[in-house]
Amino acid sequence: MKKFYTLMAVVLLASMFLSACGGAAPAANGTPTAPDCTKATVFCVGDVTDVGHVDDKSFNQSTWEGVQQAKANGTADWIQFIETSDSKDYAKNIDTFAQAGYKVIVTTGFNLTDPTYAAAKQYPNILFIGVDQGLQKDANHPDWPLPNLVALIFHEDQSGFLVGALASMMSKSHNIGGVFGTDAVPAVWRYGEGYRAGAAYEDKKNGTKTTITNVYHNDVGFNLTFTDPTWGATTAQSMIDKGTDVIFGGGGITGNGAVDKTASDKVLAIGVDTDQYYTLPEADAYLLTSAMKPIPAPLGVLIGLAKAGKFPTNGQYYGASGFAPYHDVASKVPANVDAEMQSLLKALTGGTLQTGVPDAKPQ
Amino acid sequence: MNGRRFAIIVFIIAIMFGTVVLVGISKNTPLVIITSMIATTIAVATPLTLGALCGLYCERAGVVNIGIEGTMLGAAFFGWLASIYMNTIFHFPAMPSLIVGVMAAVLTGGLFALLHAVLSITFKVDQIIGGTVINILASGITGFLNRQMFFGAGSVFHGNIPDSPGVLPTIRIPLLADIPVIGRVFIQQPIAWSAIALVIITQIVIFHTRWGLRTRAVGEHPRAADTVGINVIRMRYFNVIIGGLLAGLAGAYFTLESISSFQPDMTNGRGFIALAAMIFGNWTPFGAWSAALVFGAAQALQINLQFFRTLIPPQLAVLQNSYVVGLAPYLLTMVILTGLIGKTIPPAADGKPYEK
Repeated sequence: MKKFYTLMAVVLLASMFLSACGGAAPAANGTPTAPDCTKATVFCVGDVTDVGHVDDKSFNQSTWEGVQQAKANGTADWIQFIETSDSKDYAKNIDTFAQAGYKVIVTTGFNLTDPTYAAAKQYPNILFIGVDQGLQKDANHPDWPLPNLVALIFHEDQSGFLVGALASMMSKSHNIGGVFGTDAVPAVWRYGEGYRAGAAYEDKKNGTKTTITNVYHNDVGFNLTFTDPTWGATTAQSMIDKGTDVIFGGGGITGNGAVDKTASDKVLAIGVDTDQYYTLPEADAYLLTSAMKPIPAPLGVLIGLAKAGKFPTNGQYYGASGFAPYHDVASKVPANVDAEMQSLLKALTGGTLQTGVPDAKPQ
Repeated sequence: MNGRRFAIIVFIIAIMFGTVVLVGISKNTPLVIITSMIATTIAVATPLTLGALCGLYCERAGVVNIGIEGTMLGAAFFGWLASIYMNTIFHFPAMPSLIVGVMAAVLTGGLFALLHAVLSITFKVDQIIGGTVINILASGITGFLNRQMFFGAGSVFHGNIPDSPGVLPTIRIPLLADIPVIGRVFIQQPIAWSAIALVIITQIVIFHTRWGLRTRAVGEHPRAADTVGINVIRMRYFNVIIGGLLAGLAGAYFTLESISSFQPDMTNGRGFIALAAMIFGNWTPFGAWSAALVFGAAQALQINLQFFRTLIPPQLAVLQNSYVVGLAPYLLTMVILTGLIGKTIPPAADGKPYEK
């Protein structure tokens, strides 16, 4: 029996170790030991992910890539991530970095909005970057904007508008769909509404009538809604069965499932957040484009500003939105469609065209 | 699975399908809608059915297995990994790679089940803890290896995700599949077909063979079984491993049939829903299958009501809210469990280690 308990203990410990080994920064060749981040001269950057993993081919991954860029270009002396495995641990994970003397703490995703705000108040000497955490001065956030907290946010409605316009122009059956995580996350809702608005805009221009169906994974909690590729695939399948011929998969791993399934059924798919041509090679042959909100570049800029002592004090920083190249599908996109897309991009980012989508879902 | 339960389940599914048909009739024909609903139902039910059968073999032999979730996840990962290795490293064509992948997934399921069997039968550890170990272990191992192999410049594939061999091709039932529109139902992928076949096979094995009789004896009254010369330990080992092989096949569904990539923790609680389906089904194969189909139909209902959201009449505006619609599967679960199905009876020795 004694032998058994030893075995049991080893198995349990091994499994816990394996599930918890998120901390080590991979690819840190030659510098395996952490410097003393509490020293004023050592510039350490920590990244707290949303529930999920740093290799999710989506949001957590692109944030971590931005942090890695800060290391690569010499801004940061040391970088580290903590993967959140349970939404109750957000504050604890932020605290871990704060206690270790990190100079900048990046938190990923809308769900960390309140924990990040609280931590920023608790640690006024640490700079916080909240990716995707649009805040306003309200009853819950009376002191906004804090001098040490900047939200890195995007005009998702613009990216959604662009791919919606493209979907409307490329659809032969004039049935387009979107498979999303929960619309309780404003960014997801803005993607969906932008998609709708973009398609409607092109419909009006070209005299077509496109039916847009957006399906949200609202039937599960925050911890599952973005991590369910099988649901995404099933939903995409259901749309294809009813004649939908362009599908936008927006919402982390759930959306990835939709894009993967759509492409394997030889139907045009649209990715989200990053250029998914590189993150979902399975879908390449039918990946029309991706609605982009590239995080790494503006995040790198913000970390640079933090180090230079020029951290923005207005509480927010907008990254550029856009759409990804057509890659393998380029030959199917007519020249006039591409020209229209380029002019839309110019008009949207230049401010001459508005998507008409509000920042948050009306209550 | 008696007639009354069967009627209830058919009735519930018919109501769900009927609702969507009424809502969507101005956009798609009823036949298209029903076909699409059935396709979704089968797709959702496939891993649940296989997972429930896994639980059924285990519990009929007296071993509670809540590690189905982890077993499926581990199988999904290793099956997918095997298919990728065959395809991109050893340059096998897609089809043989996928078959090797499925075999690897099934084998992985068997190995996880063996671990559970060793823990719960030989070492008589609390079976809930044994299952929990498997769930944590699978999440850890797959997440860890996925990262070591595919993520970042220092990984085995240097951050380049290799091309996967795709998904298993569909199998058509001749003639039936040629029927316009509704023929779509008879074009399914191999694991979906196998799940249906395995329900029938399990029904025969458990209730109409000597093996099944002994399995049930071991799960109901192991001491009595022992006194008539049945090797209780051996029966339990074999049934748990058979269950594991089935859960392994369910795992293959995630990465080789539904989509062609692995995502961390992608089984997303389906192992536990499978366990619930087994309980609703009163530890019978057809019962478990029909419960899985109800879950599938509820999922189809909520996807399709969102799909046709703009067509929902204003009197039923509440159904336009995706949160309300999203509750459907869970509400149904509660209604079925508490009100309609009645009392379910587990095997008498379920979860109790056998001490000679």
